[in-house]
Amino acid sequence: MILLRLISWPYARKHVLRCLLTTAGIVLGVGVFVGMRTANKSVLAAFNQTIDRIAGAAQLQITAGDAGFDEDVLDKIRELPEVRAAAPVIEATVGTGQNNLLILGVDMLGDRSIRNYDLEGTDEAGIGIDDPLVFLAQPDSLMVTKKFADERGLAVNSKLPMRTMQGDQVFTVRGIMKPGGLASAFGGDLAIMDIYAAQKMFGRGRKFDRIDIALEEGTPLENATAKLQALLGSGFQVEPPSSRGQQFESTSRMYALASNITSVFALFIGMFIIYNTFAIAVTERRAEIGILRALGATRGQIRTLFLAESAIAGLAGTCVGVLFGIAMARAMSGYIGGMLTEIYGVAQSPGDLTLDPWLIGTAVAMGLVTSLVAAVIPARSASRVDPVKALQKGGFQSLSEGENRARRRWAIVFGTASVAAFAFNRLWIMTYVGYVLAILAAVLLSPALSFWLSRALRPLLAGLRPVEGALAADSLIQAPRRTSGTIAALMLSLALVISLGGLARSSYDSLAEWMRIALNPDFFVTTAETLSSRSFVFPASLGDGLRAIDGVAEVQPVRSVRVMVKNAPIMVIAIDVSKVAKRVHLPPVEGDSDAMYRLAAEEKGVVVSANFARLHDAHMGEVLEIPAPDGILRLPIVGVVDDFSDQQGTLLINRGLFIRYWHDDSVNVFRIYIAPGADAAQVRQRILQAFGGQQRLFVLTNREVRDFITRLTDQWFGLTNVQTAVAVLVAILGIVNALTVSITDRRRELGVLQAVGGLRNQIRHTIWMEAIAIGIIGVTLGLALGAVQLFYSIEIARRDLVGISIGYAYPFQTALILIPVILGSALLAALGPAESAVRGSLIEALEYE
Amino acid sequence: MILLRGVSKTFEGKRKVTALDGIDLSIGKGEMASLVGPSGSGKSTMLNLIGGLDRPTQGEVELDGQPLSKLSDDELTRVRRDKIGFIFQFFNLLPTLSCLENVSLPLHLRGWPRKKVEERARELLDMVKLGARVEHLPDELSGGERQRVAIARALSVYPPILLADEPTGNLDTHTGAEILKLMHDLHDRLGATVLVVTHDKTVAESCPRTIQLRDGRVFADTRREEVRR
Repeated sequence: MILLRLISWPYARKHVLRCLLTTAGIVLGVGVFVGMRTANKSVLAAFNQTIDRIAGAAQLQITAGDAGFDEDVLDKIRELPEVRAAAPVIEATVGTGQNNLLILGVDMLGDRSIRNYDLEGTDEAGIGIDDPLVFLAQPDSLMVTKKFADERGLAVNSKLPMRTMQGDQVFTVRGIMKPGGLASAFGGDLAIMDIYAAQKMFGRGRKFDRIDIALEEGTPLENATAKLQALLGSGFQVEPPSSRGQQFESTSRMYALASNITSVFALFIGMFIIYNTFAIAVTERRAEIGILRALGATRGQIRTLFLAESAIAGLAGTCVGVLFGIAMARAMSGYIGGMLTEIYGVAQSPGDLTLDPWLIGTAVAMGLVTSLVAAVIPARSASRVDPVKALQKGGFQSLSEGENRARRRWAIVFGTASVAAFAFNRLWIMTYVGYVLAILAAVLLSPALSFWLSRALRPLLAGLRPVEGALAADSLIQAPRRTSGTIAALMLSLALVISLGGLARSSYDSLAEWMRIALNPDFFVTTAETLSSRSFVFPASLGDGLRAIDGVAEVQPVRSVRVMVKNAPIMVIAIDVSKVAKRVHLPPVEGDSDAMYRLAAEEKGVVVSANFARLHDAHMGEVLEIPAPDGILRLPIVGVVDDFSDQQGTLLINRGLFIRYWHDDSVNVFRIYIAPGADAAQVRQRILQAFGGQQRLFVLTNREVRDFITRLTDQWFGLTNVQTAVAVLVAILGIVNALTVSITDRRRELGVLQAVGGLRNQIRHTIWMEAIAIGIIGVTLGLALGAVQLFYSIEIARRDLVGISIGYAYPFQTALILIPVILGSALLAALGPAESAVRGSLIEALEYE
Repeated sequence: MILLRGVSKTFEGKRKVTALDGIDLSIGKGEMASLVGPSGSGKSTMLNLIGGLDRPTQGEVELDGQPLSKLSDDELTRVRRDKIGFIFQFFNLLPTLSCLENVSLPLHLRGWPRKKVEERARELLDMVKLGARVEHLPDELSGGERQRVAIARALSVYPPILLADEPTGNLDTHTGAEILKLMHDLHDRLGATVLVVTHDKTVAESCPRTIQLRDGRVFADTRREEVRR
């Protein structure tokens, strides 16, 4: 402790900027970790909170995927003695211009035994909303939350127009729910309407989305679940409300995983910045360490001193990082929520941030551990300082040849093992082992590579500017320890950007090919502006109407529902296979192209997407059990195709089969092909004229649908932007750090340069060129490691994340953007240090030891 | 050539220190003078002011009739570049550059063409008898050799003024004597004005003129007719 006060504190006070930069490494890492995790958790928590508040007193919920089921199921359930109350629900979201509005369709007569509607008194108009019959008697009735009403300036009896499946309708606000409880679900953007009105509004026919159940007191949950399951059959899910949250979690698993990788990587990169600073500090303070050792300090005391400094820096950085992360989460949660809504079609509204004490604790622990791990090697070097040599000038500037050789040897061992692991990757873990080994090899090799590249750059830089260029390159050649951590951090960061960019590019290429083949209709008639919203459905009869439109050659109805298959929420897509197969022929990954469409059309099999097959270990010929309200549908897999409709995978079945098993002939989307020679714009206009006024209906062109999917993919890969931002920050932080030290180390050298006639601009150029050289080396190594990392990323994505085969495509465009961005950042980072180099006293610089 | 008029230099800090106090001094063109005095008498400060490395608190320093006080930092650098050669006690060679590159440094900074730079640097290294070690790094040279490289660098543009701060202070007696002889030879051959700050009586007495400082003032100014080297 006394050493900390006497030795470390004065050093820290003397090097405030450097201490801040060190801490910034941890701030960045912890911040990104806390930010991304908190944003994800908040979105998930908001979803769970909504489920919890909407569930009210319900202990169990009956669903059949998200397809809904016939009304008569309710009567069956009510007959069970264990069931105290059973309330049918229709739950859907509608866009209201500003936010999404969650609409709950409930049976007001029975629903109060499940949910508590705490209304703001009775209305002034004297309409007693407390009397459910009044509510029922008027199908245009709507209850809204106080928050929603206040935001829209609504009061009781206010009118609220909404577009329904039966055209535009005006609803009347008949009650306003007090804040709290149910009214705070979905961020308070909630409205209640009568369930039969909701059926009409959303085009559900005589179906419910689910039934919420409260059990008789004392009834064990397991017993009731078993009884209900036996009564309804395995086509239904009987689960507590909380399992819906788990489903959402499972659906958005991939996003969470991808963001976790980014955040852990950020922390890993922060570690290198800390390592760099401490390695430099040991080099700089070797005389001080020598004196301490000469005065009797033990090796252990020196080691502890450096580790304690690191722990303090880590703790400070972690605290600021947590705050930074919370600010970041606040900014990101809306974006993530919106993206998940669009991609997964599961609407939710992120409310307040959910601060998980466990996450904060983990972040603090990770920040501290990262900081300590980063300081282990420098602390060990410090403890091994020879007091005699330490007091001599210029002894410990560079890594010893022995140390370098050992690193290179380990790098070769790890590199070889990595290639071997990749070659023998039948066991999934081997891919990850190979990936980690490749990164370790690159990190170990980076000092040697930096050294070689610096030497290779010297003639080039000296050619540009004989003095400034040579000095800049020499600075890197002579003191690799000063820059190796910065270059390693930059390399890792850029490699991640490249691998994410490569994944994105490969995905875009594959997606474009899939869209070219699968999404070839001229129009898509939908119930919403987006394809992912499945709140509303069309009646099948609309298909006949569309066929009758002049200029329409073919209409293909598509129904898509999410059902639980192999314990995961999988998208079942029901189409007229024989019709679709004539227009769309996805190349098979497994199976025979003609046979699979024929068998699927004959309802003798299911065609599955390649990502479903890979992620859920399904194979040709395997009989899948697909739960439906009419029982389990058992179909063999007759073909595997690349299909990008859903990240969890898709099952393609014949529409007739779906209608029979789900008792549902409704349609989500009509695929429209226009007749040869027909004018597309006119056909579109005719459809809108014929049906647009009667019901909620959108006619999207092929281009609009493709743009929508591309936009979703852009949002998904928006994560790459976060990583790029981290890379740029790493570049700036690391380079400022390295240059600040470089200038301190070379004060005398720079002083001499000025004394013998170097102008201030020439000194500046030296610093700038050094920064750019660091940038060039970091970019070169990063782009190279990125190429290797991309191999592993594609394999991991194929095997464990998306399950879709994507080809290797190096993101040259990303690389071309990164080069000026990083070199520009390097130059930016050099401006401050360069100014400090020319501003100092020349006399002091020449006397500097 | 070198003119100091009422030059004072004080350093502000917790305690105000007057390093030079109203110095009036003139050193003629081609003169070789030594500057002596006890530690803290202001020798190095005076050298720094003459060399344009620092600015006086009061008074004026003129080189060839050009007052330095009004010059900007970059103009001052140009004066150093064109008119002054420095020789330091600790050589101040750049450790990463070879002898040739170290000597070339001021020439490159003046923007000379590469070929001309190399010719001049080699010529100077030959002059200081290091023609065979042009590619060596400073670390590979002895103390005397390093100082010879530093002298070659100081002479690279054949400056009219050569300022040396304890040029033999870091060398053994024999090497110091060699360096001193070299400086005298070069002075004779090139005719530059030379000012040498030294503690060494032998060095001081080898110069035709010795200026003695004490407590920031000129205590004595001695001229010799003929000096034995």
